[in-house]
Amino acid sequence: MRTIETDVLVIGGGATGTGCARDLAMRGIRAILVEKGDLTHGTTGRYHGLLHSGGRYVTKDPQSATECARENVVLRKIMPHCLEDTSGFFVTTPWDDPAYGDVFVKNCRLTGVPVQELSVQEMLRREPMLNPQISRVFEVMDGSADSFLATRSTALSAEEYGAQIWTYHHVVDLVREGDRVTGAVVEDLRNGERIGILCAYVLNAAGAWAGKIAAMAGVTVTVLPGKGTMVAMNHRMVNTVVNRCKLPDDGDIIVPIHTVAVIGTTDVHVPDPDVYGIEPDEIQFMLAEGDKLLPGFSQYRALRAWAGVRPLYKDRDVVNDRDIPRTFKLLDHAERDGVEGMLSIVGGKWTTYRLMAEESVDALAKRLGNTRPCRTAEEPLPLPPTEHQTTFRPPIRTTGPGARVAAEVEALQRAPLYWLGKHLSEVEREQSFADLICECEMASRSRVLAAIDAGAKNLDDIRRDVRMGMGPCQGGWCIYRTTALLFERRGEDGLSQANSNDALLHFLQARWKGLVPVLWGDQLRQARLDELIYVGVLGADRLRSIAEQGGGLVTDNPAVATEYVKA
Amino acid sequence: MNYETIVIGAGLSGMMAALGRAERGERVMVLAKGHGSTHWAAGCLDLLAEAEDPLGAINQLVQAKPAHPYALAGVAALEQALTRVRGVGEAAGYPLVGNAGRNLLMPTALGALRPTAFVPATMVNGEARQLGDGRPTLIVGLHELRDFFPPLIAANLRAQGYPAEGVYLELPPVERSHDFSPVVVARLFERPAFRAAIGRQLAVLVRKGGYARVGLPAVLGLYNAVEVVRELQALTGALIFEIPTLPTSVPGMRLFQAFEQALTKAGGRIQIGGWVLRGEGSGSHLHAVFSEAASREQRHMARRWVLATGGIMGGGLRAEHTGVVNETALGLPVRTPSGRSDWFQARFLDEAGHPVFRAGIAVDAQLRPLDAADQIVYTNVAVVGSALADCDPIREGCLEGIALATGFAAGQL
Ligand SMILES: Cc1cc2nc3c(=O)[nH]c(=O)nc-3n(C[C@H](O)[C@H](O)[C@H](O)COP(=O)(O)OP(=O)(O)OC[C@H]3O[C@@H](n4cnc5c(N)ncnc54)[C@H](O)[C@@H]3O)c2cc1C
Ligand SMILES: Cc1cc2nc3c(=O)[nH]c(=O)nc-3n(C[C@H](O)[C@H](O)[C@H](O)COP(=O)(O)OP(=O)(O)OC[C@H]3O[C@@H](n4cnc5c(N)ncnc54)[C@H](O)[C@@H]3O)c2cc1C
Repeated sequence: MRTIETDVLVIGGGATGTGCARDLAMRGIRAILVEKGDLTHGTTGRYHGLLHSGGRYVTKDPQSATECARENVVLRKIMPHCLEDTSGFFVTTPWDDPAYGDVFVKNCRLTGVPVQELSVQEMLRREPMLNPQISRVFEVMDGSADSFLATRSTALSAEEYGAQIWTYHHVVDLVREGDRVTGAVVEDLRNGERIGILCAYVLNAAGAWAGKIAAMAGVTVTVLPGKGTMVAMNHRMVNTVVNRCKLPDDGDIIVPIHTVAVIGTTDVHVPDPDVYGIEPDEIQFMLAEGDKLLPGFSQYRALRAWAGVRPLYKDRDVVNDRDIPRTFKLLDHAERDGVEGMLSIVGGKWTTYRLMAEESVDALAKRLGNTRPCRTAEEPLPLPPTEHQTTFRPPIRTTGPGARVAAEVEALQRAPLYWLGKHLSEVEREQSFADLICECEMASRSRVLAAIDAGAKNLDDIRRDVRMGMGPCQGGWCIYRTTALLFERRGEDGLSQANSNDALLHFLQARWKGLVPVLWGDQLRQARLDELIYVGVLGADRLRSIAEQGGGLVTDNPAVATEYVKA
Repeated sequence: MNYETIVIGAGLSGMMAALGRAERGERVMVLAKGHGSTHWAAGCLDLLAEAEDPLGAINQLVQAKPAHPYALAGVAALEQALTRVRGVGEAAGYPLVGNAGRNLLMPTALGALRPTAFVPATMVNGEARQLGDGRPTLIVGLHELRDFFPPLIAANLRAQGYPAEGVYLELPPVERSHDFSPVVVARLFERPAFRAAIGRQLAVLVRKGGYARVGLPAVLGLYNAVEVVRELQALTGALIFEIPTLPTSVPGMRLFQAFEQALTKAGGRIQIGGWVLRGEGSGSHLHAVFSEAASREQRHMARRWVLATGGIMGGGLRAEHTGVVNETALGLPVRTPSGRSDWFQARFLDEAGHPVFRAGIAVDAQLRPLDAADQIVYTNVAVVGSALADCDPIREGCLEGIALATGFAAGQL
């Protein structure tokens, strides 16, 4: 077994782990990050897409609220290209306790969450589709966030500072010598090779899987996986994030992100973060809740459903699961369990990932005798090659609680915030209409090729980079095109036609899984058309005998295939 | 205007039925929202995929499955329909070649080999048994056409033992276009200068590589494809064949045009753009249907009706999230496989197909729609094509066969 050595081994390529790798590298600490899937394979790629203002937590979890409010401003400064400044409403519908509005405003003030009440008339002017029976509206600094792009950008920065990012590497064991964790054994899922990593510290950032990792070192960390399901609708019926003004509950937020509006989420305890299904009644429930915010919501075309698992950390002294705080916690296993050489960072939000990384790396740096300060809040993230720099700057917000921050961010003269027309404006500027590989999501050939060149290890990786296959047709045209481009681009590096066939079959299946829960009406019709294309025109079903794993592409290794099971 | 027969739906089944009725001297109109699956499918005639001898296998199938659309239409109707459709192609200068007793194996745009019984003459030189004669084949495309990728096609053909290379040609000079969809490129192939420039490039490649055959995307003209193939063969000295692209299907459009010509000649009319919303009947007789027009509903009257609206893909059937499948034009009762939770297989490409796509309308031997108690709903309505129950035309590989056989039967009733 090959063995290599580093200062810190970070486990988990979600927002938290990637943020830790960047922070470590920026402080000059050698780090290797291992992730069993692609970056964002875990909860980070299956969340709701909300850059929290903090409003959701002001009453039940004030510490989280304050953290979200602070990080919201920081993220706008360091990753504008990943964020859309949608703003957010908290609305009191006829189903909500009208008294909560005043409590909400008071608690926003106490926790430092900027808020401003609007008239219902003004709300309807800005979002005419919302329920006219809404009685009160409060505006906050919510936004929507592309976690795929943010994580990619963070990883790129980490690599620029010298960190190594190993995707499709699965931690199979931790090495413990006496009271000390000294390293890990990882498996390269593309070829089965096992590699030993020796390190001074292991940083466990495995989210909902953190308990499984800790157990490898003989330490108990109780993470309760809480599954949440989301549904993307084929339409942005609102351009503002809309929350119900009440204590957090199921199906009470609609987030407009890219070309869709996403409703979520549920919260169902599951026994294992790798085994869960999406139940038909969860979908029905959320569509019905959507109708309360926006009459007619359930009649729009549902595009896709997915589910993620919350990494809720249960402290040893908590008896009632409901009392589990939503804030994050850094566990020092030396203090807690008498085991040196490992820290676990658990809980938290996507919005607070950077802060979580800062606290974790502060602790590690102290132990390693490194005194360099954290700079992740100041230095902006680089743009990955799949992102084209836009010259157009969307108009900046001049009203509401976000106006001051918008002006501050603008003054920094960094990459402009993301806006809905971004990709269309690029296509228009480059006149690349005739070169779109995915028409639904306007992914041009040059961006798809950039994603392939950036090291994509299957079509799903390309999807995460450029959103190909995420539109209404869920890949009807672009799966074929992208497979062929992958083959043409990588053929000389040993990617065979059989590997390409396998990539195509794998991705068809990956798209199918998230479609099944929402297949009726137009989306079912679309699925049937895709079947005609892949079976009746292309004969893809006949490729199985000449399809084969390999060529650097990961496919059906059970370690990365989340099993959706029917209850 | 009063029609004797109105056919709802302009797919292959509807066109076949309309042609049959018009040729019997009836006043016929085809009323449809849009085009049918001709414009999406490969433009070949699939009779039954998983059989060397489709006709033989269909003879067995109709014995084993009396409710299958082939059994209802009868094998004789299928055979006569095939004769008629070949006549339609012939008359339009677009012959269909093949044999109901032996499937051809045709290369796809992925380089897989797909069985089908009849193909347009423009494709036949690509049949696998010919490709297997040991002489190399060249697959060519255009970078600008994003629905056809020669290197992958050729590599997959090689992996199956057929020597092939895949290259891109240079797009001959054309005025700036915003898109190069299959239809746009097919229009370019109608231009002599464009064809000549492609032919010159091909001739050089063929001479250098000693290729016996050249496969191109199925975009070799919208109206004169057979001529284009002949011309390219003369220019290159190689056998030329077309391979179906991603939709829109140019060969499917040609097939539709051939039917359109035949139907017009027989005195029939086609009205595209009207979505039929409901019917009006008394007892078991359908008097009229209402279609959605620009601002008001339009009422159409006829003595006899053919429902050819396709299945879930055609829009003739619509599934609701409640687990109900509705027939969209006349509100006919639909046979649906159990509840929504059993509609799908876990694997997209599962050989068994997804049960929901077997949903459809049950009919009697004269194709008249039946309700749950097997009573006839309308005596003057015949249901044809993919809207019929108990068949998954895509997975069984009989999309065109079912459409033609049932459409032909409805044309003769
Ligand atoms: C349904 C839902 C909706 C949410 N919505 C929001 C929201 O709108 N806004 C917000 O701010 N937050 C939201 N959150 C919270 C947020 O998504 C998470 O807190 C955050 O993504 C966690 O990131 P992470 O990096 O800690 O974990 P993850 O993203 O899960 O990363 C952990 C990684 O570890 C990897 N891993 C596990 N085991 C191994 C192993 N053995 N070897 C190698 N790698 C391994 C996994 O593959 C995974 O990629 C939501 C959470 C859920 C569940
Ligand atoms: C903010 C946000 C916005 C979104 N917007 C949209 C949208 O507009 N449109 C849309 O379609 N989706 C959208 N999504 C959802 C997205 O497409 C995915 O559904 C989501 O990221 C979960 O991934 P998945 O469906 O691939 O998960 P899964 O289906 O669980 O797949 C998980 C992983 O397992 C791997 N895998 C799957 N099957 C196999 C197998 N058989 N063998 C080996 N590996 C396998 C895949 O490669 C994948 O990486 C959005 C998601 C987010 C977070």
